[in-house]
Amino acid sequence: MPTEPSKTPNALLHGALDALLLKTLTRGPSHGYAIARSIEETTGEAVQIEDGSLYPALYRLERKGWVEAEWGTSELGRRAKLYRLTDAGRAQLATELATWKKFSAGVSKVLFAS
Amino acid sequence: MKRSLRAWLWRVPLDQEIEEEIDLHVEMRTRELIARGFDPAAARERAMARMGDVATVKRTCVDLGRKRDREMHMAQWLGELRHDLRFTLRQLRATPTFTLVATLTLALGIGANSGIFALVDATLLRPLPYPDAGRLVTIWETSGTNTRRFASAPNMLDWNTRSRTFEKVAGFTPNVGGMVMAGVDGMAETYSRQWVTSGIFDVFGVKPIAGRTFLSSDDERRAHVIVLSEGFWEARFNRDPSLIGREIKLDGILWTVVGVVPKTFTILGRTSFWAMRPILNLPPRARGGSGLQVVGRMKPGIAVAAGQADLEAVAAGLTREYPDTNTGRSVRIEPLHDTMIGTDLKLTSMLFLGVVGFVLLICCANVANLLLARATARTREFAVRAALGAGRRRIVRQLLTESVVLSIIGGAAGLAVGWGILEVAPRLIPDGLLPETVSLKFDARVIAFCAFAALGVGVVFGIMPAWQATSFSSPEVLGSESRAVTGGGRLRSLLVAGEVATAVLLLVGAGLLLRTLIAVQSYDRGYRAESVLSMLVDPLGSSYPTPEALQQFLDQVEQEVRAVPGVQDVAWSTALPLGESLYGDFALTYEVAGDPPVEESKRPTTRYQVVSGSYFSTIDLPIVAGRAFDSRDRRDSAKVCIVNEAFARTLGGRSPIGMRVGFRVAGSREGETNYGEIVGVAKQVKGRPDEPKDYVQIYVPLAHDLSDDMLLLVRPRSGDAAALTPAVRAAIARIDKEQLVSVRDITALEDVEWSATGRHRFRAAMVAAFAALALALAMVGVFGILAYSVQQRVRELGVRRALGARTADVLRLVAVNAAGVVGGGAALGLLLSLVLGRLIGTMLFGVTPFDALTFTAVAVVLAVTAAVSIAGPAWRASRIDPAVALRDR
Repeated sequence: MPTEPSKTPNALLHGALDALLLKTLTRGPSHGYAIARSIEETTGEAVQIEDGSLYPALYRLERKGWVEAEWGTSELGRRAKLYRLTDAGRAQLATELATWKKFSAGVSKVLFAS
Repeated sequence: MKRSLRAWLWRVPLDQEIEEEIDLHVEMRTRELIARGFDPAAARERAMARMGDVATVKRTCVDLGRKRDREMHMAQWLGELRHDLRFTLRQLRATPTFTLVATLTLALGIGANSGIFALVDATLLRPLPYPDAGRLVTIWETSGTNTRRFASAPNMLDWNTRSRTFEKVAGFTPNVGGMVMAGVDGMAETYSRQWVTSGIFDVFGVKPIAGRTFLSSDDERRAHVIVLSEGFWEARFNRDPSLIGREIKLDGILWTVVGVVPKTFTILGRTSFWAMRPILNLPPRARGGSGLQVVGRMKPGIAVAAGQADLEAVAAGLTREYPDTNTGRSVRIEPLHDTMIGTDLKLTSMLFLGVVGFVLLICCANVANLLLARATARTREFAVRAALGAGRRRIVRQLLTESVVLSIIGGAAGLAVGWGILEVAPRLIPDGLLPETVSLKFDARVIAFCAFAALGVGVVFGIMPAWQATSFSSPEVLGSESRAVTGGGRLRSLLVAGEVATAVLLLVGAGLLLRTLIAVQSYDRGYRAESVLSMLVDPLGSSYPTPEALQQFLDQVEQEVRAVPGVQDVAWSTALPLGESLYGDFALTYEVAGDPPVEESKRPTTRYQVVSGSYFSTIDLPIVAGRAFDSRDRRDSAKVCIVNEAFARTLGGRSPIGMRVGFRVAGSREGETNYGEIVGVAKQVKGRPDEPKDYVQIYVPLAHDLSDDMLLLVRPRSGDAAALTPAVRAAIARIDKEQLVSVRDITALEDVEWSATGRHRFRAAMVAAFAALALALAMVGVFGILAYSVQQRVRELGVRRALGARTADVLRLVAVNAAGVVGGGAALGLLLSLVLGRLIGTMLFGVTPFDALTFTAVAVVLAVTAAVSIAGPAWRASRIDPAVALRDR
């Protein structure tokens, strides 16, 4: 994996990307850039979404039926593809959150063991 | 539901979709960076860098998007299908009469087709039930004009050893005979036996299920060995494995049971066991004989023509080596399949297939008609749907779903009909039409055929109504006042005319075959006895070693049977006046003494029948000149014979009485010629009603050519000959005190005749039944369009009545249309019959394919049935009450 950056927070986040995207969309439909920006702002720029992997991830989610797309208008007044969370997506998010909780608790136990 | 909305609203190509997204993203990221203080060029560069390799991103997204679209279409398609199916089932439930009529029609059509398919499959498509059956051929000997002679054993052995194209060659006797064995209760019982040569099971590729089959060492030892059929082993010996290797007594001789072969193995004719006929080390004169039907297994990859050429060369060599016996003899090979499935059966199968195919077409037309009527009535519904945005394709798909569902239901019911037909069929099919190796089976192939037919039919009869029903303009339909638009009337008339034409075609075919049947049944058989009992009496050679003893036995039996109450006359004969002679195709060559000598191979042949003196009076066959045999013809008296009319005609106008003829077995030596003086001429007997030319025949008195295996013919004073059977058997038993005589093949002569005309009866009955079905279906079609058009025109007819139209006017108005359809269809059908009639020419007898009587009769039948089907709707039209018609909208 030559393109994979070494140990950055982004690499750790790789498995959680879906959950982040779905969670962000619970606030309402938005386009790709807005989603990325929202995550960056929420985490105080601690988590940087790799723009190159954002869109394939969104397309994957759409194919699985967790999000659906519609045409809307962006802040620039241009046509923009908006992603909206579906009921299936909401259910998936719940599952991912539960998994994440379990996972992070486990990892913490190891990392912070005295 | 929401997901499927995308397909309607999202009309942007995939590349453009992702392009726009990435452009927007980069643009916004650039603005963000500029806002943070970067200069525009650097900001854009950074934004691009964050996106990474744009081409790869795009490719990944397009790929994912394409998969997404495909899955979405699939889901949408399935959703629509589910919807269509639900809607269809609701529709079918809502109109139960329509559903029932359509399903029954289709079930009949598809069922009849699957039944006939089983026959065609068994006779034409499926290979024979032997391994590598394609390599099996029948090898006939030929001599002169006879191209299907049974072979002599020494010739067959030489074919086996000298040919390079055959793996193995073996033979069997075509007739199944009987052997006497002590039965379970100690009584003598006769079981059927077929003679075979030692290699027969190897040629057919049959493996024994117990013990072994014959070896050539059995033949070298001239061993008495038999192989049992599984059925006989089970029924008679309860599958006793210890039987293998044991000896059982047959015809008073001990035979060793060497093995058992599976039930499925039959050659020609069903038999309980096969007995090995030794053919090694036969005396040289045996080469001149015949009697073996020979089957060969060719080596892999050898063409029939190559095998033929190879064997012809072998036969030519044999002719050079054995000129005495083999001059003029050669060989002809044909695929075993052709031998077993005769041309007659192939033609019959094709005929039936054609006929049921036409019936299916009519069924389709009828259902298409029903659908058209329904679709026309539903035009408003479709218009509303179209107005709401349904495309034409979508509506056509809905209608096609309906027709396919209908045909699947019809196909399932047809499967049941087909199963029923195949259950009943074996009892209807005349004996001997199907060879033993062919069986009608209801199997996966028939089911597959049914499914295929149902689907095909569903699409064929569905597409036209669907297209027709959707050719409208919505505003026009929605704006029109009438409840339905009378579209499709023309199409429906054409369909019905086509149905009538097809029915006429089948009726003509049935008519011609019926005329054939009548001709076959009313032909002059030559003899006049109504009912004669016949049975084969086989006084086994060893019990009556001398001709005198045999003669005495036959005389005694004759006297004893003659004394049975109710018996009018008794005779012995080697053949029945109908059906195969005991000798099979065996014929003698003959020449008239005093005529210039003719080369052996060019001599005419004659059938040869040995009869006792009372034969002619027993079957009431008139002697047209000279005398019958009588007490003057004893063993030591001068040789005499009686010839038939066809024989007499070959003499060129000379009187046959007093002439001397010499006859001998073809291929035998000059010295074996028998001479006899012609003392009488018997009326011509027709062996088969449709035989192409009269048989030439010679009768010889029993006293001059004694043989065992004689047929006893008994004619009752009155009534049914079969009723005499027990009394006659008892009479024979009184003479045969040791219970060694085998009595079998008990039939009444009239039953033999029945089986000879059986295939004509079968063909005529089948085609007539299908033609009647076709006629009924076509008339349902006529009734359908007429009733419908009357219903559509109630208002118009009501107005006419109100304006003073008389009943006759209304009737004419309604009937003219229907008469046009029926008349046009009939004309077309008769025309087609003229063309297609020729195809069944070979099955006709005593009638030409252009028989005026048949055509007229069909026209009359059609006119009458059409009148009946028109009467109902016309009557209804004439009874329309103007007041009601105008009020009722």
